[in-house]
Amino acid sequence: MNESTLILITFILYILAAFFYFIFLFAKREKSANTGFRIACLGLLIHTLALIWRTIESGHAPFTNMYESLSFLAWASILAYVIIEGKYKIRKAGPYFMLIVIGIMALASSPLMPKEATPLVPALQSYWLWLHVSVTLLGEAFFAFAFITSILYLIADSREKKGIDKGSGLTSEKLDSISYRCVAVGFPLFTLGGLVFGMVWAYKAWGTYWSWDPKETWSLITWFVFALYLHTRIVLGWKGRRSAYIVILGFLAALFTYFGVNYLLASLHSYT
Amino acid sequence: MKSLIRFFSSVKLAIVLIIIITLASILGTLIPQQRSIAEYTARYGQFSNILIRLEMTNLYHSLWYIGLLFFFSLNILICTLNRLSPKLRRVLRPKLEFEKKNLLAVKINNRFKKSWSMDSSEEGVKKELSSRHYRIKVNKKDGKTYLLARKKTLGLFGSDIVHLGLLAILLGAIFSGISSFRTNINISEGQIVPVLNADFKLKLNKFETEYWPNGSVKDWKSTLSVLENDNPILTKTVEVNHPLSYKGFVFYQSSYGWDWENPTLEIRAIKNTDPSFTEIMKLRLGEKIKMEEGNIEISVLHFVPDFILNEKNEVATRSLEPNNPAVFLEGWQDGEKIFSGWIFAKYPDFARMHSNVETDLKFELKGYEAAQYSGIQMSKDPGVNYIWAGCVILMLGLCLAFFWFSREIKIILEDDQGKAEIIASGLAAKSKEAFQSEFEGIFTSLRRSK
Repeated sequence: MNESTLILITFILYILAAFFYFIFLFAKREKSANTGFRIACLGLLIHTLALIWRTIESGHAPFTNMYESLSFLAWASILAYVIIEGKYKIRKAGPYFMLIVIGIMALASSPLMPKEATPLVPALQSYWLWLHVSVTLLGEAFFAFAFITSILYLIADSREKKGIDKGSGLTSEKLDSISYRCVAVGFPLFTLGGLVFGMVWAYKAWGTYWSWDPKETWSLITWFVFALYLHTRIVLGWKGRRSAYIVILGFLAALFTYFGVNYLLASLHSYT
Repeated sequence: MKSLIRFFSSVKLAIVLIIIITLASILGTLIPQQRSIAEYTARYGQFSNILIRLEMTNLYHSLWYIGLLFFFSLNILICTLNRLSPKLRRVLRPKLEFEKKNLLAVKINNRFKKSWSMDSSEEGVKKELSSRHYRIKVNKKDGKTYLLARKKTLGLFGSDIVHLGLLAILLGAIFSGISSFRTNINISEGQIVPVLNADFKLKLNKFETEYWPNGSVKDWKSTLSVLENDNPILTKTVEVNHPLSYKGFVFYQSSYGWDWENPTLEIRAIKNTDPSFTEIMKLRLGEKIKMEEGNIEISVLHFVPDFILNEKNEVATRSLEPNNPAVFLEGWQDGEKIFSGWIFAKYPDFARMHSNVETDLKFELKGYEAAQYSGIQMSKDPGVNYIWAGCVILMLGLCLAFFWFSREIKIILEDDQGKAEIIASGLAAKSKEAFQSEFEGIFTSLRRSK
């Protein structure tokens, strides 16, 4: 037994969970959704063990390179899902969300990602690594869920407009409201982890809290997009389609901050 | 003036500004910032002039970008003030007289009669509401009692507090931009250097590099002392992520190196024919030393820490790390140069010597030492405290706005032929379902109570 076996088991469990969720989706069996949820919870548990294992083995936080941070993002996403599912019971988003998690896990497991734990460069040896990365990624996991519910909203909305309502209980109105609630959790987390903790750490390590590094700028851009979402929604009363488009845009910005900057733009944050 | 204020108090302006600032920021990540003119010419050709003229190459510090941020700040300030005063009035001096029909028009309402006197009904309602942490204001007028019960009222100000935090951050950024400065100080062990614009000095007591087992650097540690009038005030080991702060100046570990201009070298001479003969000489760069053997003087003209021949076949150093240290050695006898050439510490058999007079001697570079210096970045940034205060205020505001929902219950108590009639309505900013169930709970237990 080692960390990579645990990750493999986790991966298989997530695929199994998605499988049961899709049975639920196509065969309309509530029971399958319950099974899927339980398997996802078990996957989360084993994933947690794998992360703890890696932390002990490498002696540092389990998100210092792309492989580790992807694995952690998948973990945070499942955690966010378990929290949201426990609160709002929106099984129908489950299958799609599991697909995203499987995608992240597949990317993490791909041979492109070097998996060996390397000693940390001096700048990363700080407890701010834990605070900055984990809180930011958890915030992004909630953005991911808002993204999924926004896409489901757009589908449900056009169906309802055409008069095809399958009566699954998940109305477009509810999807819109869940999407908002995910942003309402993700936005403070992202602000705290990404921007505030990021500034504090930058000040401690580099001597300046803000240096317009592309990663910093792109997290500010992501923040602006979600600020736009909140203002158009709360002050101007935008709801529905326009709101959903902004959430999708915001998630794409978050995705670019996470991946794009590392691979496409030169950045101080290139630790992969 | 009034129309100007109206212009800046518009949320639509805020939205337009957010969009413009976002697009400008994206542009700044696509065009590499603060590079040389030559690089821009190579990259953008004839457009490079326009880009430089429009300050696109130093976008985040350009006048127009800072101007946008300034307008944005003004917009936030006026918007917030504009919304704050009516809100404050509502919270601090609420209207304590309600119309029955208005209460019943609210979605969450309740109305019932109970055989209570006016006083005992007031007591009952107050007790029930305060057990649920509501704060209650009472007004009695024309035989009616009006009650206003509220909790988590601070939640109403969440967005205003967020905006206040943002303004503090923007203000801090302005201070930083105007008055922060930073310099690099290279300081060797034992050296004392004055600090720019400060009345104290800095001394490096000790500098060490720690390595991981695989040879990569784990950490750099500089033990620094602050000296005031040559008296040590404070000593701290500075490492990456652990700076030293003193009187608003902050000192960071940022780089390291060796003073290779002034190395201390150790040269060993051996005899090809007599392996038992060795002679070791310590010398500095340019210094001439007389050997005990054969009336020969040697001197070292050059030292390089990481020897390499560049594309023009000239001697150069690849890095400042002592990976391949080499010296250019000269030997003299009776005022005449007899040999010269490079010798290498790590490759003793690979000497490149030119000899005019044959000698029996072979030279090796056995030791090379130079004072190591620590690269300390010094910065002073008076804006930074505003930034941290702003961050705390911002997070507090976000928590209030997203998790602390204000609730308000309005109640009219009226005497109706010996019975008390209770009319109530409730209003919650968010999470309305939770409030509705609380509201219903309050009135269920009021009906049941004696």
